[in-house]
Amino acid sequence: MDKLAKTTVKFKWLIIFVVIGVTAFLGYQLKDLKIDVDVISSLPDDDPAALLFKEIGTEFGGNDMGMIIIETEDVFNNEVIEHIKLITDELRVMDGIFSVTSLTNVLDIKGSEWGIEIGTLVDEYELPETDSALAVLKARVMSKDMYNGTIVSEDGTSTLILFTLLDGDDKQAIAKNIKETIVALDLPEKLYFGGLSFVANDVADLIVLDMTRLLPITFFLITLILFLAFRSFSGVVLPMLTAALSVIWVLGIMVLLGYELSMISNITPIILLAIGSAYTIHVVNRINTTPGGHGHENSLVEAVTYITVPVLLAGITTMIGFVAFVFGSYLNIIRDFGIFTALGVFFAVILSLFFVPAVVSVFSMYASREKTKTDISEKQTIISKFILIPLKNLLIKHPKYTLYTWGLLMLTGIGCLFLVEREVNMTEYFKSDNPTRVTEDIMQEKYGGSSPIFVVFQGDIQSPDVLKMMLKTETHMKAFSAIKRTQSVAGLVEEMNDVMGEGKRIPDERAKIEQLWFLLDGQEIMPQLVSDDLDKAIIQSSFGATESNVVIEFVAYMDAFVADNSTEECKIEVTGLPTVYHQLDKSLLDSQISSLVIAIIMVLLIVGSILRSPMKGVFATMPIIATIIILFGFMGVTGIPLDIATVLVASIALGIGIDYSIHVITHFNHVHKKTKSLHKAMEETIIISGRAIVINVLSVAAGFLVLIFSQLVPLQNFGILIALSMVGSGFGALTLLPVLLILYYRKKEQVV
Amino acid sequence: MKTIKSLVIVITLFLLTGFNVLAQDGNSILTKMDDVMYSAKDVSGKTEIVLIDKNGKQKTREANVIQKGNDKRIFRFTAPSSQAGISVLSLPNDVMYLYMPAFGKERRISSSVKNTNFAGTDFSYDDMESIPYSEKYTPTLINTEEDVFILELKPKSPKSAYSKLIVKVHKTIYHPTYMGYYDRGNKKIKEANYKFIQIGKYWNAEEIEMTDLKKNHKTIMLMSDVIYDAGLSDDEFTVRKLKQ
Repeated sequence: MDKLAKTTVKFKWLIIFVVIGVTAFLGYQLKDLKIDVDVISSLPDDDPAALLFKEIGTEFGGNDMGMIIIETEDVFNNEVIEHIKLITDELRVMDGIFSVTSLTNVLDIKGSEWGIEIGTLVDEYELPETDSALAVLKARVMSKDMYNGTIVSEDGTSTLILFTLLDGDDKQAIAKNIKETIVALDLPEKLYFGGLSFVANDVADLIVLDMTRLLPITFFLITLILFLAFRSFSGVVLPMLTAALSVIWVLGIMVLLGYELSMISNITPIILLAIGSAYTIHVVNRINTTPGGHGHENSLVEAVTYITVPVLLAGITTMIGFVAFVFGSYLNIIRDFGIFTALGVFFAVILSLFFVPAVVSVFSMYASREKTKTDISEKQTIISKFILIPLKNLLIKHPKYTLYTWGLLMLTGIGCLFLVEREVNMTEYFKSDNPTRVTEDIMQEKYGGSSPIFVVFQGDIQSPDVLKMMLKTETHMKAFSAIKRTQSVAGLVEEMNDVMGEGKRIPDERAKIEQLWFLLDGQEIMPQLVSDDLDKAIIQSSFGATESNVVIEFVAYMDAFVADNSTEECKIEVTGLPTVYHQLDKSLLDSQISSLVIAIIMVLLIVGSILRSPMKGVFATMPIIATIIILFGFMGVTGIPLDIATVLVASIALGIGIDYSIHVITHFNHVHKKTKSLHKAMEETIIISGRAIVINVLSVAAGFLVLIFSQLVPLQNFGILIALSMVGSGFGALTLLPVLLILYYRKKEQVV
Repeated sequence: MKTIKSLVIVITLFLLTGFNVLAQDGNSILTKMDDVMYSAKDVSGKTEIVLIDKNGKQKTREANVIQKGNDKRIFRFTAPSSQAGISVLSLPNDVMYLYMPAFGKERRISSSVKNTNFAGTDFSYDDMESIPYSEKYTPTLINTEEDVFILELKPKSPKSAYSKLIVKVHKTIYHPTYMGYYDRGNKKIKEANYKFIQIGKYWNAEEIEMTDLKKNHKTIMLMSDVIYDAGLSDDEFTVRKLKQ
């Protein structure tokens, strides 16, 4: 270690130039940084329900639907109808749009004794203007399931314009263009935009807003806290510089490897700013408090030699916290987030151990003589005077009371653990006034929801048995309260059979079905319902409830039906956003437990083996285990649910929080070995390392609390929870851990 | 000042007459094109319809076609076997009868929606109509190339699904070689390429390739065994005949 530090000082210029070069190169890559918010593509391929949902969405184009809701007092008003036509015409000629269906162009098929009349519901060249014409239209719309609750809401106050997007184009850009064009028409009705592309566009905007607003605030807050604590140039600039460099490096590498920022990984920069600075804080703190009697260079080497082990250890355990997501996560975006944030931590550690000493050496950024106090008892900063010294006295006098207090807190935490709820419905992730959330609420209330359900049939689709089974399934589905409407090719065949004058049913003869197909072939809707080879067809529906228990009930309801009716000739499978959410819900808990267990075991092993004491490994993890229990208890009490963001908190808290314990325990070991005095070791540890920990807790907590201003609800909760766990684990490392050490050594001394 | 005024008048007159000449040219070219396409009294033949999707996958249908004048036509499908016997009789005033052998009966279909596609092809009912172009469109000659005139056709009816057609007409034979279809946003959405051969005194479109540029889907219509002016009677175009 001694050699390593000397080499660093020797090659200081080389290190500085390499860092500048790498930063320039990776920083240049940032120009290509993109945001990808497609949650669907992040679903894992090893989960059959998710895989089926992805496949169906792609094959039948169901993921490419968009909608505009027009809300007004009464849709059946000549001005409103004119505006519907205006929007429809505007959409029809827009790039990237395949088809548009609205009140003013939807087909209307009327059957009669002699045949059928195919027309549109409204003659778009002679829009109904008189009250009587409007009343006729209203009566026709309200009498048919095809329109009522599908194109026009039952109360007649809103109407839907549905459109499909062309395959392969940049859908987010199209959605953006649509929104801008339609809003520019400046119509008096209220307009809402829905569909995955709009949601994605919305989320991307929110992420950009978060990044541009929150990142500078985080940066400013941490800088301020560091300045108040260190009151020195190096104490502020170096930690922020290394944190910023690690952010640039990791984002640059993401771009180089072709990754995009996701709903989750957009918090990576904030996390790195908050925790990436910690390593340098400890290094600078150590350099500033190491006696400079033998010249600056020697004391620098001495300080770096000492601090390398704890910083490395702290870095590795933090990385474990993030890497743990690779094993336990359901969503790919969480896995990628774990990998890249761990990489960022790695950069921050490397920079703090090599780049920081090199810079300190080159620019002689040593603390002034007066500040380098060798006698810790003389060190009278606000933190030590009002927090650390009283704390030290309390711990040494009343170790057992401290232990009991923690025990009580943990018991309370365990009691509230079972109150923790889980939330997987994406719309709940938006604040209640967010346009995406509002649109979803309207869809839910008036059009039976917008989260798609697909029932997939595999077999000979033109066989009467398969088509009849599809109809039976639709009837079964509609008997469930949250399903309002269904659509399938079986329904169309039934309709066409009626047109041929044989009643609304599936014909028994295959030949008839094949000929009815002649009428359906080439209809725009067909590729959305049947595969080209006629071996696969789907029932399209949407789910009108968001509550997790209704989803679970529906999944069970459909599973039972599938078990009874799926055969070799007609294989039935159910998928859809609700079933995927259900899977996500189950996996949240699993991945939480597995990533946490993996992380705790790894941390125990590494800390125990480096400190060469399994017992100390256990001691080091105690404050953070206690914190995590209290954290979940807090979530239970406050109703903050476990979701795709908060599921990350426990492992991240473990990774970051363990650092405090490591600094305390290594410092204690170091002094105890030298002085053999329990009290002296504890005093120095709490006052020197304690100071760095308090500063670190404050800066990290402040950094994460900025997320309260995020536009996404899970990120808000995430910020609160991480801040809480930082305070908890910092406090634990300065109270629970010292008490455990004091009691352990007192017992040992007694034995001796 | 006076000279300038008179110069302006001269130029204006020149431009006006110039345009007029071009417009007249457009009209006469289009009328000649209609003559080439629609002058036969009747026609019968076999047609093969090849549908090609964006992945290059092909589906083929075959039908026998007879037509009299501009507005009576029967399509009788012969392949694939599942659709053999399905027949469509088109009569004036947007009336169609559909016959399906599996049901053994015909249904009358009246459709005011012309922009839907005919039987899974990329041709809309509008495109399939045999109404002369000069009746539906106002032409302007916008350019001439080596062997074609290029006409811009503006629909006379505001109800047309197209904002304009760009048509290339052969300079000596006057049959179309190309048509581009533009939507109301003035974006080209479909295009057709024609190949003509001479049969007796008529020119026959033996191959029309229609591409839907949005869907990236293609329909090729091939005509064979074409007989002109066989003297088909109106009795051939009745519901009774449809069923046979």
